[in-house]
Amino acid sequence: MNPVTNPLLSTALPEAGPVGPVRQAQGGPSHQAHDRSRSRSWNTISAVASVVLKELYRRKDFYVLFVLTALLTLLMGSVSLFSQDAAVRATREICLALIWISSLVIVVTATARQIPTEREQRTLFPLLAKPVSRSEFVLGKFAGCWSSAGLCLLVFYVFFAVIAGAQEHEWPLANYFQLLTLHWFMLGIVCALTLLGSLIFAAPSSNNTITLVVTTGILLMARHLNKVAMKMAEPWQSVVSALYFVLPHLEFYDARDLVIHNFGLVRWGFWALALVYAVVWMALFLTSACWLFRRRAIH
Amino acid sequence: MRTIVFPFALLAVIAVSIGTALEPWFQAWAGNRQSGSLLQTALGDGRKLFAKHFYTKADVYFHNGYYPTIYDNAADFKEAHMAGDVHQPGEEEALENFLGKPKDWLDAFGRHFYPSRHTHLGDSGCGHSCCQRARENGDHAHFEEHDQHVHEEGDHPTVGGGAERELLPWLRLSAELDPERVETYVVASFWLRSKLGRVDDAEQFLREGLRANPGDPEILFELGRIYYESRQEPVRARNVWEIALKRWGEREAGKPEPNTLVYGGILNNLANVEREQNDYPKAIHYYKLLKQVSPNQEKIQDWIQYLETNGPPLRVGIRQLY
Repeated sequence: MNPVTNPLLSTALPEAGPVGPVRQAQGGPSHQAHDRSRSRSWNTISAVASVVLKELYRRKDFYVLFVLTALLTLLMGSVSLFSQDAAVRATREICLALIWISSLVIVVTATARQIPTEREQRTLFPLLAKPVSRSEFVLGKFAGCWSSAGLCLLVFYVFFAVIAGAQEHEWPLANYFQLLTLHWFMLGIVCALTLLGSLIFAAPSSNNTITLVVTTGILLMARHLNKVAMKMAEPWQSVVSALYFVLPHLEFYDARDLVIHNFGLVRWGFWALALVYAVVWMALFLTSACWLFRRRAIH
Repeated sequence: MRTIVFPFALLAVIAVSIGTALEPWFQAWAGNRQSGSLLQTALGDGRKLFAKHFYTKADVYFHNGYYPTIYDNAADFKEAHMAGDVHQPGEEEALENFLGKPKDWLDAFGRHFYPSRHTHLGDSGCGHSCCQRARENGDHAHFEEHDQHVHEEGDHPTVGGGAERELLPWLRLSAELDPERVETYVVASFWLRSKLGRVDDAEQFLREGLRANPGDPEILFELGRIYYESRQEPVRARNVWEIALKRWGEREAGKPEPNTLVYGGILNNLANVEREQNDYPKAIHYYKLLKQVSPNQEKIQDWIQYLETNGPPLRVGIRQLY
């Protein structure tokens, strides 16, 4: 029996593959061995991620959603009202709304199916039999999904910038860059959350639904939870207040209104802080996912 | 082969016969959605539910995205004040700051990522987004992007500068969804006429509104303003306002709480036109009617006395007495 696939053994031997060289080096602190191990880990994660990335352009999801977004935006952009040029902000708002919906759907569905598919097709066993630890596998999947999301966003935002630029003859690229990066890091949190969900929920469909509902709920409600809490009686006031501080505030990354209504840039310090906040949440979800996957039977 | 053709032909005949029998009934049926409008066909009367949402959306755009949600304390926030006069910058802005002070560090941090200051569309003085961003950065004159931007002639009309066109898609959509919502036509016409200089579009839109709401006094009043203020045709404006006054009497006079705002506006404008046309008795008549509903009764009385005592006409500027 493969010790990695055996949950009982795997708890005792969690990092079966790559720890080999590390274990060899345990006799003395060897930086070379440590560096080699880290490099191999990185290569493993990249290899798993590249498979996910390839899956993105093999599947039709992205193309369908991109064409739909482009069609609806162009349709809206071409509508002329009151014998004058089409309104710019409405087009931008619709385009960005479609981009947000599409990207969320792509990321959640793509991430939710990663581990269950590997398990169903039984490709997980030979993969873990190779020198790939469970943590590397989870991190590789996350890296692949997140970079796929980045790639999709890049295409979407280039389209958005072209449409907005064609209408308004302006290119506020710094604003678009901030919007893109904030959006991408928000998707990183969603990606990590979905990956964790795929280890908790039985089927990808339930994971998809729950993650999308939770994400949408946070995006719409999280900002207002403190106000809602104030109108409540105890003990619910404390519960909702606690929820307000505990939840990942995904709405920080929704800076669409600033771009739609031509506001200035978000201060770079706050922008960077938001990205750090996202990284912390990603790390939290991924650590939980790795821990859960290591302790879990995979068949 | 024959066995297949016969039942097929029989079914086709039955289908055509039933269709022919049902067609007259369907055309006369009250629930028939065939109106030529895609939205009406798709949504039926349910579309009216969305009309208010899109009307509010136009107001959200008017405030550059700074708008209270159902969770905010919006008591001081004048809802849909795109329909009224815009106050001076800073004058009432503090009162309408529904966000208040940040409640915690998350709230304070989050405010950097959405519009959290009360501004209005066109506040920058120019509709161009570079100007608005420059204004947002607080350095309008030296903002590099703005300095490079060359304004074309007509970019800076009296107020706003064309940014108000951003309201129009939502108002148009709201009118499509609920053609019986009079306010939508009046507000859209106001922006088209006064801020965008598109008088023809404003008139056409109001006429669309009149087709959906025949004889509505508010739409007729706005139409009269187009003739009077934008087309300089006082006689035509007077005729339209006289019809508006008549329709108002038919619809509102018997109500326990009639819409005196429109009534006062019609009377005020009619009195002004008659005064300009030197028809003093009529002007006095309208002023007397206006006096009954106006909060500025003293001023109106002054005008009545002036017209009753003074002989030669004195062309004066039009003042809003209601």
